[in-house]
Amino acid sequence: MRKFSKVLALLLVALLCLGMFAGCGEKVEKNENKVILGNVTELSGDFRWPGFGGSSAGASDQDINRLTTGYSTMETNQNGAYVWNQTVVKEHSEVEDENGNLVVTVEINPGLKFSDGSEVKAVNYLAYVLAFSTNVSVNAGHTGMSGQAFVGFDSFKAYVGADVEVKGATKEFAGVRLLGDYKFSLTVSKEAGFYPYYYANTYGAVTPYPLDLVLGEGVEVKDDGNGAYLTDAWYKKAADSTAETLTYEKSEHLKAARYDVTKYAFSGPYTISAWDESTKEVTLKINPEFAGNFEGQKPAITTVVYVKIVSETQLDQLKNGVIDVLANITGGTDTKAALDAMKASEGKLAENHYQRAGYGKIQFECDFGPTMFNEVRQAITYLLDRNAFCSTFTGGYGQVVHGPYSPDFAQWLAVKDTIQLNSYEYSLASAKKVLEDNGWVYNSKGEAYVEGATGVDAVRYKKLTAEEAAACDGVNKTYTSVANTDGVEYKTVKVGNDYYMPLVINWFGTTPNDVTDLIGTSLANSAEVTSAGMVIRSTTGDFDKLLGEIYREESYGYGGTPTYGMFNLATGWNSAIYDYAFNWSSDPKYFGYSSNKFFDPDDAKYPYDITAEKLSYADALAAAKAAGAENLGMDYLSMAMVYNAKTEAEYNEWWKAYIEKWNSLVPDIPLYSNYYYDIYNSKIENYKTSPFWGCADAVVYATIKNAVEAE
Amino acid sequence: MGKYILKRLGYMAIVTVILSFLMFVVYTMIPFDRARAEVETLKNAYKNNPEGFQQRYEELRKEMGLDENIIVRYFGWIGVAPINGKYQGLLQGDFGYSYIHDRPAQEVLVEPMKNTIFINLFATFLALGITIPMGIFCAVHRGSKRDTAIQAGTIIGYSIPIFITAILCVWFFAIVLGIFPVSGMKTPGSNYTGMKKFFDQMKYMALPLIVMTLSSLGGMTRYVRASMTEALSMDCIRTARAKGLREKVVIYSHAWRNALIPIVTLVIGWFLSIFSGSIMIENIFGLNGMGLIYINSLTGKDFEVVLLLQMFYVIVGLLGNLLIDIAYGFVDPRIRVNK
Repeated sequence: MRKFSKVLALLLVALLCLGMFAGCGEKVEKNENKVILGNVTELSGDFRWPGFGGSSAGASDQDINRLTTGYSTMETNQNGAYVWNQTVVKEHSEVEDENGNLVVTVEINPGLKFSDGSEVKAVNYLAYVLAFSTNVSVNAGHTGMSGQAFVGFDSFKAYVGADVEVKGATKEFAGVRLLGDYKFSLTVSKEAGFYPYYYANTYGAVTPYPLDLVLGEGVEVKDDGNGAYLTDAWYKKAADSTAETLTYEKSEHLKAARYDVTKYAFSGPYTISAWDESTKEVTLKINPEFAGNFEGQKPAITTVVYVKIVSETQLDQLKNGVIDVLANITGGTDTKAALDAMKASEGKLAENHYQRAGYGKIQFECDFGPTMFNEVRQAITYLLDRNAFCSTFTGGYGQVVHGPYSPDFAQWLAVKDTIQLNSYEYSLASAKKVLEDNGWVYNSKGEAYVEGATGVDAVRYKKLTAEEAAACDGVNKTYTSVANTDGVEYKTVKVGNDYYMPLVINWFGTTPNDVTDLIGTSLANSAEVTSAGMVIRSTTGDFDKLLGEIYREESYGYGGTPTYGMFNLATGWNSAIYDYAFNWSSDPKYFGYSSNKFFDPDDAKYPYDITAEKLSYADALAAAKAAGAENLGMDYLSMAMVYNAKTEAEYNEWWKAYIEKWNSLVPDIPLYSNYYYDIYNSKIENYKTSPFWGCADAVVYATIKNAVEAE
Repeated sequence: MGKYILKRLGYMAIVTVILSFLMFVVYTMIPFDRARAEVETLKNAYKNNPEGFQQRYEELRKEMGLDENIIVRYFGWIGVAPINGKYQGLLQGDFGYSYIHDRPAQEVLVEPMKNTIFINLFATFLALGITIPMGIFCAVHRGSKRDTAIQAGTIIGYSIPIFITAILCVWFFAIVLGIFPVSGMKTPGSNYTGMKKFFDQMKYMALPLIVMTLSSLGGMTRYVRASMTEALSMDCIRTARAKGLREKVVIYSHAWRNALIPIVTLVIGWFLSIFSGSIMIENIFGLNGMGLIYINSLTGKDFEVVLLLQMFYVIVGLLGNLLIDIAYGFVDPRIRVNK
């Protein structure tokens, strides 16, 4: 027995030694073929059609949608540009018909499959366009505008079923044609103003959906030669439908299908295998039927888990290995902490960064008060050290831009060597000069302004012309400073028959907001602003109040009189589509699209006419000068950019002129364009993001180092 | 007793109607236009059709009943007046719509409510299980070193804000020691079932539970101690002791019963609060609970959800008060209601 024990002990030691020797060999760490993405934005379950036609979709929901939806005829590439999907589209053509409309014809490749193995056909593309152009979808909460660019939209939308007669309504959608099992066409309407248009071909970007998801049971997509249509079961009225208020059975189907992630197939690289509403977590599994994206790329990571995280502890979760990817880290403190964690991780964490396609800004109201004058806006720009501001706010992880563009835009890259922009270098002298040149040389008595004066004469005044005094329904005549915490109220004064306006800007900022605080210290309360003879009065409130003042919307708390000339907020772009048409129009019906209420005098002298001959930039500029304008106006440039340009070179020429003019007028001051950092577990390879290419896109290209499948 | 309860229920109905009206008026008067907010997201879709944009805005106002006066809107919300020709209010089971989540308000509240009740039930039982014996112990051993130590500890616990306790616990237990997860409600990507799921959930809930329990120890312990101290000084206790009853009987049968009257209010209050979430705890630990949805709905001006929640809390509060009054009678026969 004793001998046996000794042998057993020897065997155990030998086994241990063997194990140790085995461990001495090259050890390859195996990783589960899974990635866990963390996001601070909450998932809502609205994955099928995030936002349902509107623009209020959550970023996380959009990520899930991008991961589970594919086979669009056009997709956005890494630079945000729309490109034809080579995996899907066999052939496509864009030709003008005899009425001047653009007919986009698409033939898709046969053999593409949804996740349930069913084939993707032309009807799957048209079902969405048709269904979401009807009042049935409007009843379900959708905009019902999906097909608005196509010929015959209004009459198709007016159709509510054979049982209700509506004048001018047609069952068929003339501009949407089903031309075969794999072929369809979409006719972009000239009459409705959607063609000619620089981005008109992007109206050909349509996505296929399973018919049962969009239409439910019993509805077919047909085309008898006059346009595609949905059979009448689509328009079947609900039990509570009345002659005054029509309701539809299929509206209820859409409401339910929108949130259903189990019943219907997916077309994208992944399918949803679990959605836990309680913990706000989605688990996605690879879709083996997926044929690839626009580049033919298929995913390699078999499982993607998307979880909600808490911003305060997100980095600890990454360090602890709870999540693998932390996207969109920005701001000085957070970025520094993330990069420090990456350095300390000894190679376990990696990073990818890019400059945001957008910027934080000061936005001016340009139709009343001192900020209606270009020179005042320029002076404020000179008085702000934007480089220091950007460095302080972003912690050095950001850049200053000098106009409404992203340095990643293809159009910027094309013109950046020749474009001429004023960088408005920080200069008190330049600020004073532009103010004096613009006539800000008086005090409140109409006498010469004296630097260092006190009370109401601490600021400069400008003598208004009759036209300037009458601007914006005469509000300048009673222009008054608000938030007078120092007891001094500045207001327009009447001396003799002339009105003198004080150089006092009422500024509204949201709170709590670090940008608001920083503008307060670096601009509004700075000694330079005082030295320039200017006062910036600060009011803070919530974002809705700010929007109310910008939209001049009384239901948002706007008091009926424009008060604030300056706001701070941010702007950005999701794709490279750059279209500011109608944003500078003086037509009151487009007022809601005008962020700055800037109506260019050059446009008054040479206005843009959308029905007129489409001139080249050089011809239009010559015509404008002949009409007495100094330059082409902002409305002209923004409209012609998308409605006159036919080629990329022409577009870039308009775009460059637009940016240059914008830069000279400074309707906004771009403050900072920050970098976004993605920090991720270095087991993930080929993970690359860009301003237009988020983590959902990057995951499709990423792989896991030494990946093994979970048992 | 039955009559009393019926009378109280009648009063409650009146109070509910008055409060619902006041709350509805307050939220309606806040300068915010839901139709405008909704239509703003469609701005680009209508860029070529500004008249259509305005028309859609007006349609939305009509659909939401915003063109009606405040009284009609209130009755419409309750369900006793038609909006757009339809009765679709609380009485018809239409509890409003969450415009942030784009789905009916009650659907939005189901999961957070489940989570909140789950965590609060645990926290309440844990806290009561610790504080009541500790309070009794302190009262019985009043003035002893252990009593003094617990008193000092509870004062510290009572004085430290819950978010400080939470942050300290996260830092120590989750980051330094790595015993518990930093935040979340389950292991990401796990699809456990049965007991495995329960234990995984408990692993994630442990830290928030510890924080909630720690934060509630101070107040309740001191309350129980004070109440018990007062009860122990009563004549009947002296008599009981003089009769030679065992100390345990004196404490738990006689003193504790007398001490219960003020404590019962607090305990029932605690159980009623299982429906309300903690904004701090849920934010710090990433829990999908009522506190978070409440604050998000308020900041997002999702007033139909806020109103529904507040109505729910009003009703819970009123029922709770009735429950407390009835419970008094059981605890103390002197104040039992017979009429």
